[in-house]
Amino acid sequence: MSEHLQILLKDIKEPDLHTLEGYEKRGGYQTIRKVLQMDPLKVIEEVKASGLRGRGGAGFPTGLKWSFVPRDTGKPVYLLMNSDESEPGTFKDRVLLEKNPHLCIEGMLIAAWALQSNWSCNYIRGEYAYPYERFNNAVKEAYEKGYLGDGVFGSSFKHDMVTHRGAGAYICGEETGLIESLEGKKGQPRLKPPYPAVVGVYGCPTVVNNTETLATLPWIMQHGGSEYAAIGTEKSTGTKLFSASGHINKPGVYEVELGYPILDFIKNECGGILDGKELKCIIPGGSSVPVLKADELEGVNLDYESIQAAGSMLGSGGFIVMDETTDMVEVALNLAHFYAHESCGQCTPCREGGHWIEKIFKRIAFGQGTERDMDLIKDLCKQIGGHTICPFGDALITPALSCMKKYPDEFKIKIERALNGNPVKATDLHYTF
Amino acid sequence: MAETELVKITIDDKQIEVPKGMNLVEAAASTGTFIPHYCYHPDLSIAGNCRMCQIEIEGRPKLEIACNTMVQDGMVIRTHHTSKLVEDAQAATLEFILINHPLDCTVCDQSGHCKLQDYHYKYNAQPSRFEEDKVNKVKAQPLGPHVILDGERCIMCTRCIRFCDEVAETSELGMLNRGDKSVITVGEGQQLDNPLSGSVVDLCPVGALTHRDWRFNSRIWYTRETESICTGCSTGCNVKVAVRDNQVVQVKARYNEFVNKEWMCDEGRYGFHRFIPENRLLSPVLKGSQCSIEQALAEAKKLSAQNLYIFISPDLTLEEMTLVKKFIDSKFSEATPVVAYRKRELSELEAKLISPNFAANIMGAEAAGLVNGNAQQNYEDALAALRSGKAESVLFIGERSLFAEDRTDELLASVSKVGLSIGILADADSSLVRALSVVFPERVIAEKSGLMINQIKRLQYLDRLLDFPVGTESAWRILDRISAELGAKLTAAKNDRDFTLEFFASHENFQHTTIQDVKGQGIALDGSGETDSDKREVYSPFLTALGKY
Repeated sequence: MSEHLQILLKDIKEPDLHTLEGYEKRGGYQTIRKVLQMDPLKVIEEVKASGLRGRGGAGFPTGLKWSFVPRDTGKPVYLLMNSDESEPGTFKDRVLLEKNPHLCIEGMLIAAWALQSNWSCNYIRGEYAYPYERFNNAVKEAYEKGYLGDGVFGSSFKHDMVTHRGAGAYICGEETGLIESLEGKKGQPRLKPPYPAVVGVYGCPTVVNNTETLATLPWIMQHGGSEYAAIGTEKSTGTKLFSASGHINKPGVYEVELGYPILDFIKNECGGILDGKELKCIIPGGSSVPVLKADELEGVNLDYESIQAAGSMLGSGGFIVMDETTDMVEVALNLAHFYAHESCGQCTPCREGGHWIEKIFKRIAFGQGTERDMDLIKDLCKQIGGHTICPFGDALITPALSCMKKYPDEFKIKIERALNGNPVKATDLHYTF
Repeated sequence: MAETELVKITIDDKQIEVPKGMNLVEAAASTGTFIPHYCYHPDLSIAGNCRMCQIEIEGRPKLEIACNTMVQDGMVIRTHHTSKLVEDAQAATLEFILINHPLDCTVCDQSGHCKLQDYHYKYNAQPSRFEEDKVNKVKAQPLGPHVILDGERCIMCTRCIRFCDEVAETSELGMLNRGDKSVITVGEGQQLDNPLSGSVVDLCPVGALTHRDWRFNSRIWYTRETESICTGCSTGCNVKVAVRDNQVVQVKARYNEFVNKEWMCDEGRYGFHRFIPENRLLSPVLKGSQCSIEQALAEAKKLSAQNLYIFISPDLTLEEMTLVKKFIDSKFSEATPVVAYRKRELSELEAKLISPNFAANIMGAEAAGLVNGNAQQNYEDALAALRSGKAESVLFIGERSLFAEDRTDELLASVSKVGLSIGILADADSSLVRALSVVFPERVIAEKSGLMINQIKRLQYLDRLLDFPVGTESAWRILDRISAELGAKLTAAKNDRDFTLEFFASHENFQHTTIQDVKGQGIALDGSGETDSDKREVYSPFLTALGKY
């Protein structure tokens, strides 16, 4: 672990890092002073040069996203930090908010200066009560010191920051859903176009960035974009946080340079599989990306391109490891249940289809499946994917399809047992909800 | 109309030119291609949630929704007619919508005019593959005094929510819960009781929202639907009225871009019956007792022009108004014609749709030359003349020629003192009937057809909804018979339709107009909103009298 450059998790174990004093003692809030002297457009250029990609899941280049914001509309530009980290398996932002909130604030200030935004908001997941408290205290400290508010760091730049706690909906992590929720409405994604960069919060240009993305900015501005670009691979630059969970010895959040081999990550950082069992499969980037079987992991690295080539996605870095004892039907059911529960109910295919798929998986898992169920699920997935307002529809079908595609036998066995009059008993399942 | 830029697009291999900025549902409609949709409504914001209007656009990786896609030059679009992908997506959308739908068509009021039924037959028509339990939601939940929700039938198109947010701006409705448990609801402690609340039932493409007054009244296929206009106020909302066994079963707003879009006020919709008295006058009445029409006419013949006040109902058709004018000009030019008219105060919300002129055809009266000066003042003056005994004879044409609030004992006592008082009325229970010397039974507005001019000077056609009771006559016919007794026959028409045609024929401006032209969207007399600029020229001379309201 120690051989990786620690950009975000440096000093993370220091007990006073979350205080302003502790952060400044370790060189915090120095970069922003320098940045405030720079031309905002230069800042964007620097971030573009760093090759930093959005860490929320989509991996869209951050500098490019900023450059879509129109600068001459006469409307205010709003900056939103997306801390609505709700993807199953993902808990990396929580560490940053809890242990190093001032790094996030400094990152937000850099982005705010680049976008010339005078108002920003951190939208924190409703369940994150403690991170919310920590971050809110940090904002208060920054205000008291004059680092926020009128005349940031004695400059003429004015910037106000608020912290907003969500009400516990996964879909508010989608940027337009987040904006709706922030405006006080029901968290339901908006139709695109128009995109938030043009029409966002209260109809004004808005940038929504992930917490980790923004927290990376102080390092980039301190060391220069090209130095950041030198880390990692050519197209996946820098380091990334991975939140490892599942059947491993050392679950936790790890920062590794992109391009690090997955098998090494499991062996070194995760400490190998629990109880010395065999690795069955992993979900590399949060629950909405396809699973990768153990035999597909050879030579695959933790970077956007390599994982994509292997047939999955890096996503948000929610690294879920499953050992040989895992029942893939239950995995599919568990995730289907999650997505059916979190569907916002706005558009038809996801609202109705998500629940339908869950019900079929449940039937199969409980030993009441029929031969055509798998074809039916595949057909439903085809009609949900790409037919919805937001990417939730695609997120919903991906685990369902990949579990069935990679482990068809496990599904068939359960169905056949049911057909032969020997169904699975409910007590055989780990399923509880 | 300003010239708008046109763009060329291809829909199903057919090249068309449409104005820039148009969405694809409208663009396709202009070539006669109907793209099915639930949530899209031309006068509400785009929600894009039903996913019924998906189409394929060349060069785009995914299907797009037609309602939220604006035409771009060179766009190549495939609809369900030519794209298998789209066809499948629409069939799948319908399957999804129907999995949790109760399929209670056999008892549903919407059955027969339900978009869910129509589209299913047309775009899916497959048995469902859903074998699980359906989700249960609220049934028969009153949202307000007029509207009842069946949550299970709802397809969450949110048209009703958007109507309350955007048109009524009262925002009573919202969506509760998530996923397949989503349900439409009123805000806590609130009720859907705005003056336009019934419109959400019209907007509901399925049977989720129903009228409290008309639930389980009749299957729609047993009714006769007539396109007419509402006569509650001078807005003249276009309506479609379903009638069964001579009873109004349902009143629906009918789309008219210029008049009422697809909205209608509750007062007009549910108050339809206020123009139909419970106890109808079926034969003439002479001094309080029934008589033959000849006896009544013989009495009415004695009418003289001296200090004669003619009270005219503002609900008469334009043709009738014209005939009244002729009647006055032929023998009674010294008489004082008065159109019953009183402006009403409206709240800001009511004023969005309702006209302060609670007098359906006050513009028609104006056009016919029956209003001299201020109509309201004239009416009050005439009432004063009745009270002071200045009026020597009086003629009431139409039930609404004297407002109910004016029928005080004091006024009726003065009326009974007038030398000769004649009424053409409908309500047998009315106190006015007993105060008059002669009363003729008239047909009410729902039993007549004819022309009306609304407040934005649109000529619209009022169609007959109900059968009239035997013994009644249209006001114009009674007036013509009285006039004939006096030696001046005013019209040769035998029925309302002939009467309208005669009106067209006798007015130079309407020589080429047919009833069919006036039906549907009506005709703008001042040419506004019409692309055909000639119309302005044709009708303007007729309008010289209009413009004060």
